[in-house]
Formats: sequence, structure tokens, C-alpha cells
Amino acid sequence: MKKFQNKQAGLLSSAELKTFKGQFIYWLFFAILVAFCVISLFPAIWTLLTAFKESQEMYSSFSMFPKDMSPGNLWHRVSDSWKQLQLGKSFINTIILSIGDLAFTIVVCGFAGYVLSKLKPKGTKIVFALVVWTMMMPAQIRMVPNYISMLNFPFASQDSIVPGVSLLDTYWPMWLAAGANAFYIILFKNAFDSLSHSYVEAAQLDGCGNFRIFFQIMFPLSMPIIIYVSINVLGGAWSDFFAPLLYLDNREVTPLRIYRLQSDASIQMNARFMGYIFASLPPLILFLIFQKRIIGGINVGGVKG
Amino acid sequence: MRLKDHNTVKLKKRMKVTSRFRNNVDAWILLIPAVIVLYLMIWRPTVLGTVWSFFKMRGYSIGEFCGLDNYRMVITHTQFLPTLWNTVKYVLWSLVLGYLPPLLLAVIINEMVHFNNGFRSIIYLPAVIPGIAAMLMWSYVYYPDQTGLLNVILMKLGLEPYTWLTNPNFAIPGIVIYCTWKAFPGTMLLYYASIQSVSTELYEAAIIDGAGMLNRAWNVTRPQIAGTLLLCLVNQIIAVFQIMQEPLAMTGGGPNGASISLGYQLYKYGFASGGKATGQAMALGVIIFLILLVLTIFYFRLNKKVEDNAY
Repeated sequence: MKKFQNKQAGLLSSAELKTFKGQFIYWLFFAILVAFCVISLFPAIWTLLTAFKESQEMYSSFSMFPKDMSPGNLWHRVSDSWKQLQLGKSFINTIILSIGDLAFTIVVCGFAGYVLSKLKPKGTKIVFALVVWTMMMPAQIRMVPNYISMLNFPFASQDSIVPGVSLLDTYWPMWLAAGANAFYIILFKNAFDSLSHSYVEAAQLDGCGNFRIFFQIMFPLSMPIIIYVSINVLGGAWSDFFAPLLYLDNREVTPLRIYRLQSDASIQMNARFMGYIFASLPPLILFLIFQKRIIGGINVGGVKG
Repeated sequence: MRLKDHNTVKLKKRMKVTSRFRNNVDAWILLIPAVIVLYLMIWRPTVLGTVWSFFKMRGYSIGEFCGLDNYRMVITHTQFLPTLWNTVKYVLWSLVLGYLPPLLLAVIINEMVHFNNGFRSIIYLPAVIPGIAAMLMWSYVYYPDQTGLLNVILMKLGLEPYTWLTNPNFAIPGIVIYCTWKAFPGTMLLYYASIQSVSTELYEAAIIDGAGMLNRAWNVTRPQIAGTLLLCLVNQIIAVFQIMQEPLAMTGGGPNGASISLGYQLYKYGFASGGKATGQAMALGVIIFLILLVLTIFYFRLNKKVEDNAY
């Protein structure tokens, strides 16, 4: 096997892979991985198959597979469930929510990371210390106070002289929270740290202003980190049901809709399962497009002052 | 000549001062949005939550100062100690199930020359499924009648169906199994990246010295990734200690409070008590913060040490 000869030395080396023992261990590892993949995907596969079963079939048949596998019937199950679940509106809402989340994260955290990394005005040290301190705070300590301040935005009290605005049932609580992400600020700072300062100096010599330097030089150079953060933020918007549970009511987003379907007795189990699949599709498509970047991982450095 | 020199120097100096001033202004314009949202969403609510935990709350408006009343009510609640113990159980189970297995898998994947990317993609899939869909899906995997996946399997094997999440002894491990399934890929990639950065020369040297496979794993790989391992440990403890959404969606804290965690209790105080216990919610928040503070300080010390060694 050619691939074995080029293998870099690790726990198994190419020399050992020529022996029977080495090859045995290698293929044992391979088998373990295959078994693990199957087991970890099994719940998802079961959900998919059950979603395509007919309602009576779920209780009567013990086969994993739906009885009628003709394309016409499968499509009938999809369109039927879609009608029953009424996810259309929530999909549009989630798209609005996720685009807002993305804009807030990139603009607010990206700018902040750039300033903390490259411009470093007076007072940066205090801001950076506060950002780090922010990461240490458990989110639960601010759950109720945040709710109160969203009721009377931005005063956090009903007794203020000027009455505040209630942000309930708007996307603002989620959007603002997306901007207030200390982890992403530090991630952006680290990414900009790794770009040489001479780019900035060269551009400054050519008479380039700070904003032009950011948008025309630093921004394109930091595309990998921007894509990484974007994927995470978009995935988060399609996944988070807790903040919408607190703040949204009529403007249901998909995760909230899925959570609420649970207490809707008129929806059958197979339709619910189809709902989980619908809800998983947008993040799945995103993953398939950007697969390489996600599984390649990113060097997420820690906090350095 | 001298005069001209003097002037240019002055001019240059003045240009430098104005450009530095402009720099500062520009920088703060870019930084101010972050400061505002952090203040509104994190700094102020954290401080207010601490202050208001000493006040009597009327629903979501602030009443009069009441000292430690909220704290007393939280701690003397008959369910407080069981809930704290549950939270510790979540952490312990998550360490047993979710701490070392991803490492073993990362080590194995690192040895693969066939299908390496494919394995990582497939293993990553559970992390792609939205959290709430995955939680509800798993609550059907555990469904206690004959339609649940695990019971279908048990019955095919000719065994009796089990009660799963409705069994007080299984509720917490059951939820932790789901959490592990969901968080596994992320942890594994983290370990994988760290194993990848171990230099192959170290392995080659060890091979020349005649070190066997296990010997290399223990003496070459382990010391090189010890930092990442420790960080993940502390990180996981801190994250699992705050568990809230999973019991909320999967068991509702049941059966009979057997899977209720401190975080979920806080949610119940704050949003499911008809506004009667919002003060207690904030007091409990402070208590959780104090418990985690020790761990967090340790984490940051450790992080600094790991970073310093790495560079």
C-alpha cells in the first residue's frame, strides 16, 4: 500500500505498518472508527427513517425502514409535514435573526478586535481587562437583570423619568447579545495579532486613513477568521432556543417553533421528526459548503494580555 | 539653516501629535459600539444582578432593601442541597463519559491515512444538528414506550423495555450521554489540532530509541498535549456546571426533581414562578458565580501557563 509508505511517524510508523502486527492494529483502529461513526449517526438516521413512516406504521411495524419507499410517497410525507408544521414563517424569521446576528458580531467584535490588536488607543488596557473579565462571568447571573432591562430598554428600571422601550418580541435582545461576545472579540484580536504590523505602517506611509486600512487591507486579509466566526454565528442562530423562549412570542424563530411543537398534541411523532430534519437542513447545508474550514479547525489561541 | 532645521523638527512633532490624536479618535469610534453593547448586555446586568439580589423584587420591578433574605430563602429551600448535588453529578458523569473518549478518537484519527477527512466530517455531523432539535430527538430515543429507539432495540433483542429518562437514577446520565454526543466532535477537533502540532521528529527519535507504540503514546504524545488536556478539563467542568437548557427541554427537571440543576432552578425562580421569586433567581446567580469563581481563576492561571510554555 502506497499510502502506508508515506505515512509520517506517529504512534504507528511506516516501517511498523509493513509488519502484520502493525497492519492489524491499523485496521483495528479503522474498524473502531467505522463502528463509532455508525453508532453516533444512528439516532439521526433513525429520526430520518421514522419521519418518512406513516402514522399507524410507527406503532405497528417494528422495521427500521418505512414500508412504502416510492419517491411519490416520500415526497408526500415531506409536503404533508411541511403544511402541518407551518415552519415557513419561522424560517423567514430565523433568516432575519441570523443575518442581524452576523452583522452585529462581525461589525462590533471585528472592529473591537482590530482596535485592541493594532490601534491600541489610550485606555485599551482597561477595556481589554474588562473583556477578559466578561468571559469569566457565568451567563446565569445576568439572566433576570437582562430581562428587566429589555422590558425598559435602555434604563433597566421602570421608575426612570423617561419611559424606556420594551424590546420584547423584537430581535434586538439577540442582536445585541451577538455583539456583546467577548470570546469573538478576543478571537478577532488574536487573528489581527498574527497579521504583521508592517501592513498598517506601509499603508499609513502611503497616506491611507485608519478606516481605509481596515476595510481595504485588514478585512480581506482576515477572511479565514471571519468565515469561521460567521459559520458559528449562523449555526448558533439556527440552534438557540433559550433566548427566543425568553424574548420572542409572535415572531417565532425555528428553534422556538420546534420547542413549542412539543406541547402541541395534534402533531404526530413522524411530523415532529420531519420538523427536526427541516430545522437541521440550513445548518447542514452551511456545513457541507464550508466543511474543509470547519474540520480543519482553527488555532484558537487563549487570552494573552 | 539652523532655524529651518528647528522648524521642520517642530512641524514633524506637531504632525505626529495630531496624527496620534486622530488615531486615538478613530480607534475609539471603532471601539465604542463594543463598549456600549458589552456595558448594556453584560457589565451592567452583572452588577445590577448582584445589587438586586439584596432587594425584595415585585415581579420585574425593584422593591426595598431586604439584606440576605433572598439568599436565606434559596439556601434553606429543601431542594437546594439535592439540586446542588445533582449539578455535581452532571459534572462527574460528563467527565466520565465525555472527557477522555474524544481524546482516544482523536489519537486514532490522527493515525489514519485512509479516509481521514471523511471520518472527521462524519463524526462532526452531530454537532451540526441544531441543539433543540437534537435534544428533542434524543428524548424520543429515550422514549419509555415501545416507539423509543432504545426500547425498539431492546425488544428486538428480546428484552423488556426500560424506563430511561423517567427513571430517577438514569435521568442525569441519560442527559449527559446526549450532551456528550453533541459536544464530542468539537472536543475531538480541539484534541486533534493539538495532537497534530506534535512534531514528527519526536516520534522518529523515539522509534530510533526503540520505544513501542504505548511507550510513544505515554512519553511523546501525552506530555505534548498535557496543557490542552488540562484546559479542556477545567473548561468542561465550568460549562457543565451551568447546565440548564438540556433538563429544561428533555425532562423538565423530572422525574420528581431528579434531574434539576442549579441553572434550571434559577430559570424556574426567574421565569416560571409568576414573578414571585425573581430576587431568589439573582441570589442563586451570585451563588453559582461564587462557586465557579474559584475554578475560573484557576482556569485563567492555567491558560496563561499553557500559553507561556507554547511560545
